[in-house]
Amino acid sequence: MSKMTIPLGPQHPALKEPVNFTLVLEGEQITGSAVNLGYNHRGVEKAAENRTFLQDIYLIERICGICSHSHTTCYVTCVEEIAKAEVPERAKAIRTLVGELERVHSHLLWLGIAGYEMGFETLFMYTWRDREQVLDCLELVSGNRVHYGINTIGGVRRDITPGQKTEILKRLAILEERTKYYVKLGTEEATVLARTQNVGLLPHDIALERGAVGPTARASNVKRDVRKDAPYLIYDKLDFNLITHNTNDVFGRLVVRVLELVESYKMIRQILNYLPEGPIAVKVPAKIGPGEAVNRYEAPRGEDIHYVKANGTDKPERAKVRAPTMANYPSVSYMLDGGYLADVPMVIAAIDPCMSCTDRAMVYNTKTDKVQIYGWDELRKYGIEQYKKKGVDFSKL
Amino acid sequence: MSEFEKEEKLKAGLEAKFGGAISEMTIQRKDRVWFELTPERLPELMKLMKTELGYDHLATISGFDGGENLGGNYHLTDTHSIVTVRVKTPRTAPHLPTVTGVFPGAEPYERELEDLFGIKIDGLKPGRRYPLPDDFPANQHPLRKDWKVSDVYPEEKTAPATEAE
Repeated sequence: MSKMTIPLGPQHPALKEPVNFTLVLEGEQITGSAVNLGYNHRGVEKAAENRTFLQDIYLIERICGICSHSHTTCYVTCVEEIAKAEVPERAKAIRTLVGELERVHSHLLWLGIAGYEMGFETLFMYTWRDREQVLDCLELVSGNRVHYGINTIGGVRRDITPGQKTEILKRLAILEERTKYYVKLGTEEATVLARTQNVGLLPHDIALERGAVGPTARASNVKRDVRKDAPYLIYDKLDFNLITHNTNDVFGRLVVRVLELVESYKMIRQILNYLPEGPIAVKVPAKIGPGEAVNRYEAPRGEDIHYVKANGTDKPERAKVRAPTMANYPSVSYMLDGGYLADVPMVIAAIDPCMSCTDRAMVYNTKTDKVQIYGWDELRKYGIEQYKKKGVDFSKL
Repeated sequence: MSEFEKEEKLKAGLEAKFGGAISEMTIQRKDRVWFELTPERLPELMKLMKTELGYDHLATISGFDGGENLGGNYHLTDTHSIVTVRVKTPRTAPHLPTVTGVFPGAEPYERELEDLFGIKIDGLKPGRRYPLPDDFPANQHPLRKDWKVSDVYPEEKTAPATEAE
């Protein structure tokens, strides 16, 4: 059979992320593949050099819409290390709490995408509905659903009140209940098994060789998790398990993520019980250094590493970011080879490449020339009224 | 030895093997070791770190512009600690050997050095450029300190309003 080369992306049927794959096909089977990146290069590192350390938090938070907190935490720990700032314990606990809430929302988001890619859209709708619970927690703590803006140099910007704690615990109970169902569904449901088992295989030694990180690596039985290996923030005080799986396929990646959800719930409870009294931030001078620091952080997608060099001014000399997805791309071409074209979206989505999401709608009324901003409640009310006009009543849901 | 036992051991071992090639070895804190190496011995050191010392994950390479010299910080990890190897190369004819023979995953990081700093990587297999667009001028390297946006996009003479004053 003759070979055929087809480009996939950068505008995708599979992803909302601009990346191009060149696939060589023999019939439906993939015999060769290459990943082409760079469509999303925004020059963040250059921009960071032109801004102050504090302004860079705002910039770095916007590297990714999902692991925004991971990037800023990793960056501020580097800056604090150079400035020799002692971050209060309470601030560290709050950072960890937001970090784990972020992991929950990211893993639930991924589970939805996985369901969508395997043609199991009910799973997508379930998980994204339940994900609202954790987004509510994040909004409660930070005022935002996606870019929490909780980190500042020397600590955090908002405290946790006892009222917030109760609200988070309430929502956590719902999530724990729902996740039990996802564990059962992920490991027993015939559709899931048929679409994920033996798909996108990444053997243990190849995962190590290509430097895979996070759940992608852990599903190939690579026992690596920065939270365990080099504990930062308050992870050395938390009791949790390092989840691995040995099937090396998309199924393994699904199981690892779902079981990590359970561990995250455990950790969130522990952090809320631990929360030591005290200040939430210390003052750090605007001019920092000279000095350099490199730190890692276990983002939902895997190891995130930041390098910061300061030269004694209020702007960094160099700020380098390596996001986890970057480390996982070399493994993707291996996973695709020998597989089938129909599995491509599933395999690519299984490393959980990043994408952004947004909240709140702004409506521009052309008649009155006014902009109205809808909050969640108003948007819901508006939606219900719209459907009522069409004869469907959603108000009881 | 005391609290930095592991780091001291690594330092002594590397200095014995590489002698004059290694300089400015510092133990910054627990789990952080930094040193400078002459570029010729980079692949050899990487191989040793990976096969014998357990530093089997090259986390990333952060390039830098140090005025007369360009170079890269190679951040290696054994999952617990990070060892940073700094190599420098003269700005007039910058080139470094590839480490993809030891760490195949280093390919995108090395392409970054080529594109953003203009450091030629000897032995890197030909391929598509990363991360700059295909139509970006080949002799422009944005992360060099003397590079300005207006070098490539003349219409953007003034910095956007979001830029820090």
